[in-house]
Amino acid sequence: MTDKQLQDLVSYLIKNKYRVHSHKEIDGEILIDEIYEGKNFELCPQRPLYSFKKFLLPPCQTMMKFKNNKTIGVKNPDTKTILLGIHFYDLKALTLLSQVFEKDPYFQKKLRNMMLIGQSPIPAKDEDYQKFEEDILEHLKFDIFLETKSNNNQKSFRIFTGSEDGQRLLDNFGYKDYEHIEYAGPVPEEGLNITQKSLIEKIFKSKGSKIWKELNKKCIDCGKCSIVCPTCFCFKISDEIKKDKIVRKREWDSCFYEEFSEVSGEHKFLDSTEDRIYNWYDHKFVRIPKEYSMPGCVNCGRCTEVCPAGIDIRKNIKRIIEEN
Amino acid sequence: MKNPYNPIGAKIVKIEKISSINKLFTIKIKDEKTRNAFKFRHGQFFILSVPGFGEAPFGFCSSPAIKETFQVSVDKRGSLTSKLFELKVGTDVGIRGPYGNGFNRKKIKSRDLVLVAGGCGLSPLRTIIQDANLNPKNFQNIQVFYGCRNSKLLAFKSDYKKWSKNIEMNLTVDTPDKAWKNSVGVVTNLLTSETIKSDSVAILVGPPVMYKFVIQKLVELGLSNEDIYISLERRMHCGIGVCQHCALVGGKYICTDGPLFSYAEIKDTPEGI
Ligand SMILES: Cc1cc2nc3c(=O)[nH]c(=O)nc-3n(C[C@H](O)[C@H](O)[C@H](O)COP(=O)(O)OP(=O)(O)OC[C@H]3O[C@@H](n4cnc5c(N)ncnc54)[C@H](O)[C@@H]3O)c2cc1C
Ligand code: SF4
Ligand code: SF4
Ligand code: FES
Repeated sequence: MTDKQLQDLVSYLIKNKYRVHSHKEIDGEILIDEIYEGKNFELCPQRPLYSFKKFLLPPCQTMMKFKNNKTIGVKNPDTKTILLGIHFYDLKALTLLSQVFEKDPYFQKKLRNMMLIGQSPIPAKDEDYQKFEEDILEHLKFDIFLETKSNNNQKSFRIFTGSEDGQRLLDNFGYKDYEHIEYAGPVPEEGLNITQKSLIEKIFKSKGSKIWKELNKKCIDCGKCSIVCPTCFCFKISDEIKKDKIVRKREWDSCFYEEFSEVSGEHKFLDSTEDRIYNWYDHKFVRIPKEYSMPGCVNCGRCTEVCPAGIDIRKNIKRIIEEN
Repeated sequence: MKNPYNPIGAKIVKIEKISSINKLFTIKIKDEKTRNAFKFRHGQFFILSVPGFGEAPFGFCSSPAIKETFQVSVDKRGSLTSKLFELKVGTDVGIRGPYGNGFNRKKIKSRDLVLVAGGCGLSPLRTIIQDANLNPKNFQNIQVFYGCRNSKLLAFKSDYKKWSKNIEMNLTVDTPDKAWKNSVGVVTNLLTSETIKSDSVAILVGPPVMYKFVIQKLVELGLSNEDIYISLERRMHCGIGVCQHCALVGGKYICTDGPLFSYAEIKDTPEGI
């Protein structure tokens, strides 16, 4: 598929009442925005600062409404949405979320109305590419995937489909040159790799060690890392009293906030920064791998990018592996 | 797709004021079919919803053998519980659940039980005590050790006489008044090699400060780590193992794996207790 054909595809989608979201540079930051025309569309190879998770798990979402103590229905309009240009590690994150929220009607309804179009931003070498196709794509949830190819400075895309919806969409658009990849479930047959498995033990062993004391001093509990992280999904549920009704809503929460573990009487179970940041790593590298056989960190680097204290998750993990 | 967050419609059918900070609510699920299908086990809990005041987890405190209604003993603490205290008989509330990993059924019926409670911790144990009173044949020997700061705070006082027919009740308070005829001091003092058989199963429900000392004592008395159960409390939002509020580092959730854990299960969990 050429650049021009991709633009035509975007125009086609918009014409067919899809709301298309993709990322681009806005005031020096890479952010996701709605695309209103295909004409000059260009796929941005960098990843957006905020991930695509908000489309499936909104920062604040109405769960139900009550009026005179009776539940009244919530209308969630079915907007057909396209998320365009999701990097493969963000697709990994969405695949994980779709497991965590497998039985969540709010999440699943949004997912049903959504088409995920992924991209591999870096032109892959042939051998890498083989691996990529077999090992990664078949375990990712996506509808269409754009594999960037570069020939004599001429950019083009190799197209994969990952669902029937994706195939149908391309067929209707009139593009036939795609390969279909059968979704083989989120977890490869062999499950976690050796590093991921040993990390479960190593994190546990590291509890109380020097690295956590250092992080205790460094981290300021701002929670920015958990907001940008594509796999962070903690939430809280609360009621809001409006003029004539009550709204029960679900909002993003962060385990870095002190109230996260507070029970009445002001007792907090995660009562130091050390406890909280350890709990964050425990969730990513222990709890999620144990529960879903998938790593809880997709290595996108966002948390490191936003951390005001200069905390680098890759360095920390490397250190935990070396020291334990 | 079924929405696990939708509360089931229920009604408060009876309210008993137990103390200035505790009330006993009897709750009935409105729809008959739902009511008949609603079954809970010892050690499970549910989430109560009062629109406008949110949701909070509470342990069942009546016997699962009582089918029409169930009871919950509520301590007045914050916004939701204060609202509950204002509600009148007949008010609608919502419930969801039952949640949690109930207590091992076989163990509970085949072994001698030592129930150790502190403060408001007696209420979730009442499911077992009531059950044992209704069907004594289903249970072995049951001993209750219950401690409170003073006798005013003892829960379910009017039941003790009835319970004593089938169950050994041991009470203690920190500061006795003139009329007090039972033990004085912490509950740990009552646990000795004369009172406790080492092959019993113990269930502890109370403030976390109590656990450390009681566990130590029971281990000294020869109970195995697998036979000492502790009820853990954490903040909860979802009740179904997703929101992470009740997670224990290492991989356990109070809402789905608990709230009762054997000491063997959580001994090595940092900050578990
Ligand atoms: C498994 C379990 C069983 C429980 N059983 C009982 C019982 O039988 N009787 C009883 O009186 N209390 C019980 N509690 C404690 C009860 O849930 C809290 O007292 C209640 O949540 C306080 O709510 P509030 O709105 O009045 O307090 P607030 O302090 O105003 O609460 C604010 C927020 O914190 C949450 N929260 C506060 N304390 C707790 C807590 N301890 N556990 C979970 N969430 C909390 C509330 O849900 C709410 O979202 C139990 C708790 C758990 C976890
Ligand atoms: S690198 Fe950081 S932001 Fe990205 S997935 Fe891992 S923990 Fe989340
Ligand atoms: S962004 Fe950095 S300082 Fe802020 S909570 Fe995360 S690790 Fe701590
Ligand atoms: S209450 Fe949400 S995970 Fe336990």
